[in-house]
Amino acid sequence: MKINPDFANTIREIRDKTLGERSHSRKVVHWVEDHRLHSGPGKAIVFILPTKGCSWALSKSGGCSICGYIYDNPQEPNFENMMKTFKEKLHDSIKEGENYSLKLFTSGSFLDISEIPEEIQKEILEEASQYREITEIVLESRPEYVTEKIMQTIKETIDIEKIEIAIGLESANDDILKKSINKGFFWEDFEKAATRIFDVGAKVKAYLLFKPPFVSEYDSIKDILQSVSKLNKLGVDTISINAISIHRGTYLSLMFEKNQYRTPWLWSLLHLCKEIKSKYPDLRLICDVVAGGTQRGAHNCGDCDKQMTEALKQFVLSQNLEDLNNEFKCSCKTEWNSFLLQEKITIS
Amino acid sequence: MRFFQPLAQFGFGRILAETRTHYPLSPGLISIEKPESLEGYSAHFDSTLVPNYSSYDSSEIKLLWNLPDAKKEKILHEANQLSLQPFYPSYASEKLRIEDYDTYLKEFLSLPRIGEQSFYLPIDQFESKKIDEILETDCSLIILNDLSKLFNNQRKLAEKMSYLRTRLSPDIGLYLPGSVSPAFYSFLTYIGIDFFDNSIAYQVSKNGYFLTENGVFPIDSHPPCYCSQCSSTPKNIFKHNEMVLKNALARVNFALRNGTLRTIVEQDIHRNITFAATLRHLDTKFGESLRKRTPIISSTKVKCLGEESLNRPVVSEFRERVKERFRPHPSSRIIILLPCSARKPYAMSRSHIMFRNAIKKAGSSIFSMLSELIVTSPLSVVPRELENIYPARFYDIPVAGSWSEKEIEITSNLLSNVLSRYQEDSIIINHLHGSGYEEIIERVKEKSSIEVIDTSYKAPPTSHQSLQELSEALVNTKERFSLNQTEKVISNTKKIQAIADFQYGPGTGKRIFHGKIKLKGRYPRSPQIFRDDKHIATMHASTGYLSLFPAYTKEISKISLNKLDFGADYVSGSNIYAPGCLKADTHILPDDEIFVLYEKDVIATARALVSGEDMNKMTSGKVAEIKKKKR
Repeated sequence: MKINPDFANTIREIRDKTLGERSHSRKVVHWVEDHRLHSGPGKAIVFILPTKGCSWALSKSGGCSICGYIYDNPQEPNFENMMKTFKEKLHDSIKEGENYSLKLFTSGSFLDISEIPEEIQKEILEEASQYREITEIVLESRPEYVTEKIMQTIKETIDIEKIEIAIGLESANDDILKKSINKGFFWEDFEKAATRIFDVGAKVKAYLLFKPPFVSEYDSIKDILQSVSKLNKLGVDTISINAISIHRGTYLSLMFEKNQYRTPWLWSLLHLCKEIKSKYPDLRLICDVVAGGTQRGAHNCGDCDKQMTEALKQFVLSQNLEDLNNEFKCSCKTEWNSFLLQEKITIS
Repeated sequence: MRFFQPLAQFGFGRILAETRTHYPLSPGLISIEKPESLEGYSAHFDSTLVPNYSSYDSSEIKLLWNLPDAKKEKILHEANQLSLQPFYPSYASEKLRIEDYDTYLKEFLSLPRIGEQSFYLPIDQFESKKIDEILETDCSLIILNDLSKLFNNQRKLAEKMSYLRTRLSPDIGLYLPGSVSPAFYSFLTYIGIDFFDNSIAYQVSKNGYFLTENGVFPIDSHPPCYCSQCSSTPKNIFKHNEMVLKNALARVNFALRNGTLRTIVEQDIHRNITFAATLRHLDTKFGESLRKRTPIISSTKVKCLGEESLNRPVVSEFRERVKERFRPHPSSRIIILLPCSARKPYAMSRSHIMFRNAIKKAGSSIFSMLSELIVTSPLSVVPRELENIYPARFYDIPVAGSWSEKEIEITSNLLSNVLSRYQEDSIIINHLHGSGYEEIIERVKEKSSIEVIDTSYKAPPTSHQSLQELSEALVNTKERFSLNQTEKVISNTKKIQAIADFQYGPGTGKRIFHGKIKLKGRYPRSPQIFRDDKHIATMHASTGYLSLFPAYTKEISKISLNKLDFGADYVSGSNIYAPGCLKADTHILPDDEIFVLYEKDVIATARALVSGEDMNKMTSGKVAEIKKKKR
């Protein structure tokens, strides 16, 4: 059993209450941001495509306990409009002489044909392959949709070396995946999907979740370290550590409102980045802090939040440990230290 | 062997000591981080706080105990470790998923050296049968990580804690992690928690608040404090807050050693409605399990301040024993009911000296057919014979003259029960005065058929008129019985027999104190008791209880309720340990004098450290200290 039925039911109930409030149509959201490419610092064009949303979240299992992205997806996708705006915006965004990474997010799985039909997938990739400036294309997907057949189709459509499949692994520990996130797959599934991707010559990017519910920050740091070494052994060279941010309408949000959960400290992220980068210098380590410095995102005491998120951003771009080495002097460091242990005792 | 052993017991509260060194550790404070000086701490957590790759394999969190270096060498192990199995759902408000807990239990049992591990017990698992297997192991520290959820539910808190504490052996320590106000340390210790931690000091001081025993104040306006941390510049708020915790715990510690824990609990619970209600629930619903663990041989003041005091364990134990064990001397024919006095023992008070003089006027021979009962609250009925023992000599109550309905009910029930023990043709002389007493006598009259003569109906008991009436009534009644009265009973013998009954069980007094009994030495010295010129016992002036010489206890060992069956014919050393204890009477209270038996032969007398029920549960550690061995 890869899910816990009781837990899944509870999540499902919470999900059902909020799902009906979704809007019927939505525009394509896109922006350009600074990004670390394999070749060096560059730009990323991010597209969020309005599909019907993640099939796992819409399924009877209720989806992940921490994820509320599904509420941003429209109830009925309009692929015609979507393709039109996608082509226009992509054309407008690209300037000559720059290197771009194209990130195609759907808040679900790009490779899931029930979300994006096969011909639309092909059309998008063909469109992207016309631009020389795009050196990387990031597609998000759950491992079960990464089939050999679909990878072959992608290989035929586009230069496969550009493709990077991003999988939300969250943790390499099956217990956490099952009991705390309700992810619906285990490490072995990820491992198989990754081999399929490597076989055709594409790259894999793994997302790790920092501080899932029920897990203390202390244990979560240990879990991330463990997951990173497992991923590194597998050959994954891009790892993105996502510190949790609390989405409304989720199980985690309920816990947060009852004061049973504190979002992670920036100190922990800082420590993780230093620790991982010094052990694996060749690894591309990405750590984007969502809602940094707010109560619902990773935060410290309030005084040092801004300074520290800036430093982390700088580090991700440069991948240079020196950016993190300047001394952060804030009194909340001791508070963080004692918090780690206190929380470890109260959440076993 | 478990890590702890109890050295003393007071209700569910205990002093726990390290088993090998006997060094007391609880009730104790645990430091989250390694403190600069260990003073005032029982233990601290030792860990690499931020896990990194190098500390990856050995990053278990150890709990190191604060023992003097000389004692550290003596013990086999010195650390408790937090077990590292993931056990996530305890934190969620949703119901605990049973399968998850089952896996945790399995993983815990497979750990090496279970005696050094800490076990997590969430509140909904207190009653489960599954933890039996864990309790049979040497597991010595249990972490109650979500007990604070019950702090707004008095019924459940009382029920769960008394259930847990009666189920667990007394040598298992309970640790309540998280923020607990120091004002409640006394109450929580009383219901069985042994360890607290200083996390509240971290939380409060980092948010800029100033902790006092009366609550939390913002840093810019708080009551002045003259401790060394506050008078230094700059002020060290964290150190101050930490010191408040240490002081609060030291107070509880001292009270536990002194036997005054219950008194400070009754004072402290008035700061929190839930805890006040919890104590009342405990006393009324689970009073028996508390009573069985509260020592009755003591010499501390029993201050009965509030309503809780009516059901205080020592008080209800006294009432229970008067009911079960007090048997009036068969020669008693005239029963005098007297009011209580503020001065204890009653016999030393002005009013009771006046009563005595009035009784004497009827002739000194009357004393052998007389039985005096003092009617009072909250002890209800104190026979004259028992006035010198704890708690009768040590209680104090604010008197306002009015009796509550509850007091009247309890007192009249016990009084009519005691009166039913006397012979049918006895006579009651009622020398009580006041509406509360009247109500009690009314209720007693309904149940009992013994004739009642009122002598203090019109005027207060110490008035000239009432005293005169008392003497006259005695002279009149004496004439009725003077013919069948032959045996002369010395009041000292009566007293010692009653105390022995009260202490060792009904019938024991007569068995051992027969023949020519003589007392040598007077208060404040402890009187030595001689039978036929042989020194057989001592009556302790401080507590009013007896201790017997082992050679003479054989006469009563069969019927006494203080027996402990020992596994060998000779006790070496001065302690009795749990493995040697085959079976202990469940009537044994902590601090009681007990008889150590080997095949029905008394080999020593000893002082119990824990209650008899708990002796049977313990698997290691001291259960009693030898007082005297039989030569």
